[in-house]
Amino acid sequence: MRVLVVEDEKKTASFVRKALQAEGFAVDVCHNGDDALAAARTNAFDAIVLDIMLPGRDGLSVLRQLRAQNNAAPVLLLSARGEVNERVEGLNSGADDYLPKPFVIAELVARVRALGRRGGESKSTVLQVDGLTLDTVSHRAQRGGKYFELTAREFRLLEFLMRSPGRICGRMTIIEKVWDYDFDPGTNLVDVYVKRLREKIDDGFEPKLLHTVRGIGYVLKETQ
Amino acid sequence: MKIRTRLTLWYAGILIASLLVIGVGTYREIAEQLRHDHRQNSREHAVNEAGEMIFQVGLPAILLGLLGGWWLTRRALNPVTKLTETVEKIHEHNLREPLPRSGNGDELDRLTEVFNSMTARLDGSFQRIREFTLHASHELKTPLTVLRGEMEMALEEENSSAPQKERLLSQIDEIERLAKIVDGLTLLMKADAGQIQLRREPVRLDELVRESFADAKILAQPLQIHISLPVCEELTVFGDRHRLRQLLLNLTDNAVKYNKPDGTAAISLRRVENFAELKIENTGAGVAPELQPRVFERFFRGDPSHSNAVEGCGLGLSIAQWIVAAHDGSIRFTSRPNESTTVTVRLPTGSPVV
Repeated sequence: MRVLVVEDEKKTASFVRKALQAEGFAVDVCHNGDDALAAARTNAFDAIVLDIMLPGRDGLSVLRQLRAQNNAAPVLLLSARGEVNERVEGLNSGADDYLPKPFVIAELVARVRALGRRGGESKSTVLQVDGLTLDTVSHRAQRGGKYFELTAREFRLLEFLMRSPGRICGRMTIIEKVWDYDFDPGTNLVDVYVKRLREKIDDGFEPKLLHTVRGIGYVLKETQ
Repeated sequence: MKIRTRLTLWYAGILIASLLVIGVGTYREIAEQLRHDHRQNSREHAVNEAGEMIFQVGLPAILLGLLGGWWLTRRALNPVTKLTETVEKIHEHNLREPLPRSGNGDELDRLTEVFNSMTARLDGSFQRIREFTLHASHELKTPLTVLRGEMEMALEEENSSAPQKERLLSQIDEIERLAKIVDGLTLLMKADAGQIQLRREPVRLDELVRESFADAKILAQPLQIHISLPVCEELTVFGDRHRLRQLLLNLTDNAVKYNKPDGTAAISLRRVENFAELKIENTGAGVAPELQPRVFERFFRGDPSHSNAVEGCGLGLSIAQWIVAAHDGSIRFTSRPNESTTVTVRLPTGSPVV
């Protein structure tokens, strides 16, 4: 898999490249929009990581130009947190995903991997991870023949985690996708909800499915 | 009293005084001349004549003088009135347009020149603030992203020991905290610079209150705090849904965070006249009366001992205050130490005033 990283900040670009290379991806780095467009014309990338704030031609303009040239490579936008307008504009201009800064590198890697095999996200109405199933129509969860009552929020949280099994989900991402907050609530809301969810789906069962990734967020997977 | 009225009155006073002096003088002169005249009838007649003449000429003269004075001051002050009208139209976004100058080098022309150079300086400052806030978020977050990324990479290295990893993790936690503070500050800076546009629409406030009540209940459970929602009237306000949710979360979270074990918190929403009144009351240490006026200040903490015990960026109430003000509402904070603390928010209901 070949990834293009467009980031003007050299240090950020450097550790993003290192992290992606550690995953076995081939990585190209550009520090400005025009170089990025030139690189995208000569190579086919499986994913593009694009910073919105770039000197000269900004990320959104690069994105629109790419799409105008019929380049369909999936794009992950990096934007400052809370810049809702930019983000909405980005998604409207054809971005596939976004990550607020400062981002969690493990999450960035996971998102890039997911973009590379786009369409892999399950659209089925019954989600299953190991012995845990969630019916997204009846909102019922079941593990080992036992049914759980879920509140609306718990359901959305579990659905979000189950739609990306094995993928690390950062706290801010969960806040944005499950709560639809475009700001950092400054509370331990996510942690408290995850704890409650864990009591329901993991207590009394082996193996544990819902794991904490310290300093980063949570992941739903079969083994640690 | 207006300068124009004052000047006209002074002018009239001086005019009357001078006319009186002239009148009295003329009268005495005529009386003196007539003293030697022996014809009684004609003497009295002449004196009456003189008095009548002074009256008939003097009154119109005074009136004319008054009108003339009024017209003169009006004419003299007209450029000042015009200048005031133009200056009144100045706001943050048209500072670059200079006021029109007469160019005749008089006092008012000089005043206009001084005004123009002042607004030019203001425009420069506003411009710098705008640029700064535009880039501040990016500039502050880039180093945080770098730091965080490098620490995560170091965590992945296999030769680092457990204590080293623990240290790195605690540093990552601190970076997260710093990122939150940067977020809050950027929001407030942008609000100060008028760069945040609210996306206002009719919002069912009671639904938002119920939603944050549900979240607050979950947050309160591990701390054994009992939360209630005694009143929640159906109310619609014209507001920005995201910002109102942020306001509610900030306030309910405070009610939980600054509470005591086995404490209580009550949220209520009711209509009071043309306002939606949201009241959040909670038990806990509270804030001493002398410190209460300062609770909306940035980074203010009611009790210094809270600083470490309670996690938070110290900007919650400042942000709440901004959100309420942006919705043309009011927010009040009252607290009886060690008893209860109440935050009351009033937001106008009904159709928007455009």
